[in-house]
Amino acid sequence: MLVAQETGAPVGGTEPPSTRPPGPRRRILTAAVALTALLAVLMVLSLLIGTGSSPVARAWDFLMGDPSARADAQLRLAVLDVRLPRTLAAVLVGVSLGAAGCLLQAVTRNPLAETGLLGVNSGAALGVVIGLTYFGVRSSYALLGWALAGGMTASAVVLLLAASGRAAASPLRLVLAGSALGATFHGMTSYVLLSTQSTFDTFRYWTIGSLAGVKTSDTYPLIPLVVTGLLVAFGSARPLAALALGDDGARALGHRPGLIRVVVAGAVTLLAGSAVAIAGPIAFLGLLAPHAARAVTGPRMAAQLALSALIAADVMIAADIFARVAIRPWDTPVSVLLAFVGGPLLIWIARSRRLSTAGGTA
Amino acid sequence: MTDPIADGGTAARTPSPTSSAAPDVTPPDSLVLRTGALSWLFPRRGSLVAVALGALILVLVALGTFASSTGMGFTETLAGLFGTGDPATVILVQDFRLPRIAVGVLVGAALGIAGCLTQTLAGNRLATPDIIGVNEGATAAVVASVVGSSTGMIGEWWLGPVGAVLAAALVVLCAGGAGHRGHRVLVVGIGVSTVVGAVTDLVMSRQNDNTAGGVFLWTVGSLSGRDWSVGTPLLLLLLVLLPFALAAGNRLQLLRFDDDTAAGLGVPVRRVRALALALAVVLSGAAAGIGGPIAFVALAAPVLADRLGGRSRVPVLASGLVGGALIAGADALGRVIAPVEIPVGVVTSVLGGPFLLWVLFRPERGAGRG
Repeated sequence: MLVAQETGAPVGGTEPPSTRPPGPRRRILTAAVALTALLAVLMVLSLLIGTGSSPVARAWDFLMGDPSARADAQLRLAVLDVRLPRTLAAVLVGVSLGAAGCLLQAVTRNPLAETGLLGVNSGAALGVVIGLTYFGVRSSYALLGWALAGGMTASAVVLLLAASGRAAASPLRLVLAGSALGATFHGMTSYVLLSTQSTFDTFRYWTIGSLAGVKTSDTYPLIPLVVTGLLVAFGSARPLAALALGDDGARALGHRPGLIRVVVAGAVTLLAGSAVAIAGPIAFLGLLAPHAARAVTGPRMAAQLALSALIAADVMIAADIFARVAIRPWDTPVSVLLAFVGGPLLIWIARSRRLSTAGGTA
Repeated sequence: MTDPIADGGTAARTPSPTSSAAPDVTPPDSLVLRTGALSWLFPRRGSLVAVALGALILVLVALGTFASSTGMGFTETLAGLFGTGDPATVILVQDFRLPRIAVGVLVGAALGIAGCLTQTLAGNRLATPDIIGVNEGATAAVVASVVGSSTGMIGEWWLGPVGAVLAAALVVLCAGGAGHRGHRVLVVGIGVSTVVGAVTDLVMSRQNDNTAGGVFLWTVGSLSGRDWSVGTPLLLLLLVLLPFALAAGNRLQLLRFDDDTAAGLGVPVRRVRALALALAVVLSGAAAGIGGPIAFVALAAPVLADRLGGRSRVPVLASGLVGGALIAGADALGRVIAPVEIPVGVVTSVLGGPFLLWVLFRPERGAGRG
């Protein structure tokens, strides 16, 4: 009945019915261009908007090279020393998590996999807690080091376990080993926290995830790691696409499934470990972005990776901008805003199309 | 409906099948009991496993009671358990120690059964009930009770379960249907639970460190101070829902193929999915609300049960028993290994992981099925 009524309504479409719908290539390209443009806009906004007292108009003058604004020391500090590092960090974290999540979902053939699955997040948290409790670490740079070391170590252990034995690194082994060890590290973290109150108070703020107070010098050492991870990611797009056919199908095409999985999981470790080290455990973004990307690309792996990274960067930076203005003059933890932005988005994606389940592991 | 054979038309009755050369369709590894027109299939291995696990739980409960005793001999503890010791011992054991261990076993059983249902439903080992927001819902309710109270104490015990079930109900509403193999509900669940968790985090970040510490202890998953006031409702819930869960598991077995096959075999696919999901929500919600979000049991129990009972069936009962055994064992261990008591949730996560891996990755005699 409703349908019949709707057909009577004037059609507001602009396209004549003869034009074919745009092909997937064009759709992906359009999405990529739009997302990149959005990223550029958001980056500029991120430089203009802050928690401080510097008005947006002045910051704009500063960016445009207005001499009086350039001479303003406080403004210079706000834009160049506070907002610029934060902006770059948000992009770095977003791109890392988006690519890592996409890789992990492909390699485990499991749409519920997120970047915390390899134990990276729980390992990083354990590293931070150990650093705080037993080594008296307090500086942000040192904590970043501990987080990175913890995440990498945890992930390496998971990979070694999953790749041992004869059924080398089957997706299910990877998933179970990751969940199991993740739980173990998480339990250890809880144990240490329960026994030392002082650590707990510092850790509370680390675990919420935030980009406040990120320094450029902190993030520089991570850039090579992220770039390496991204190169491996895009290099393995084709083998990963073959993996989607199942192990036997991939072998028939001349790939080695076990090797692909280990290499890709290594890339995930580099990317997710860097992201956790900068911003704390923000696992959710790595789950959301691939789902959003797949809605556009379908099964095309390379495009999925690129869009996933772009989407995650966009969402991350948008969430960080909101984090600065939500409860002025305080910074809201970015993970909270990420949830408020990303949660509804994920629900909408899940409702709007049949999720490609990518052959969940039974 | 009117009875079609009310007029005594015996011809309308279906003829009984000729028993001349009926092929033997008994599944392997099963025992058939027949009495006239009724028959039951008893999976031999499954039944053995269930009995063995039940015995293991009893042993662990006894050990757990013993482990928490201060200067009480093992025979004394047993006497207390059976109510034959001196009155003081009996009261100590039966009124203070046994209840919390029993609650632990019940919580574990509920988590195991719920995990088995959701994992089977989605055909995905990562699809545990935690995904549909029960933990976040329970935690949010508890945090709300702490923040809303003047004392800063955690409120009534039923707040947790109610919050958990509300959150899960919200997930199901938002999803508007289970989707392919329940995946839509799961993905929506991740979205919803992230938002709920974020709100909780935000509220918590404005609390003082003492309150935060108290809530943190709860979110680790602890059984301290649990007694029959929460145990009895949970036991009743389990007893009422277990038959439904077993029936749902039986039907889910056929959904392991694909929906068309299942529908062809006469399974009401959508109804079975909805039932399994609802059961999982209520069970895991009650468990999370009472024991706190105890990590990992819902994921590991079905995997272990699967390994124990062979893969031909959906191991609903075995998952529940394994879950109960896991928590009973973890609770006992938590009181033995260190001078201070370690919360059961910490033990399950720290030791459950390696234990699961050891079970799964042992070199097998048969074909490796990772």
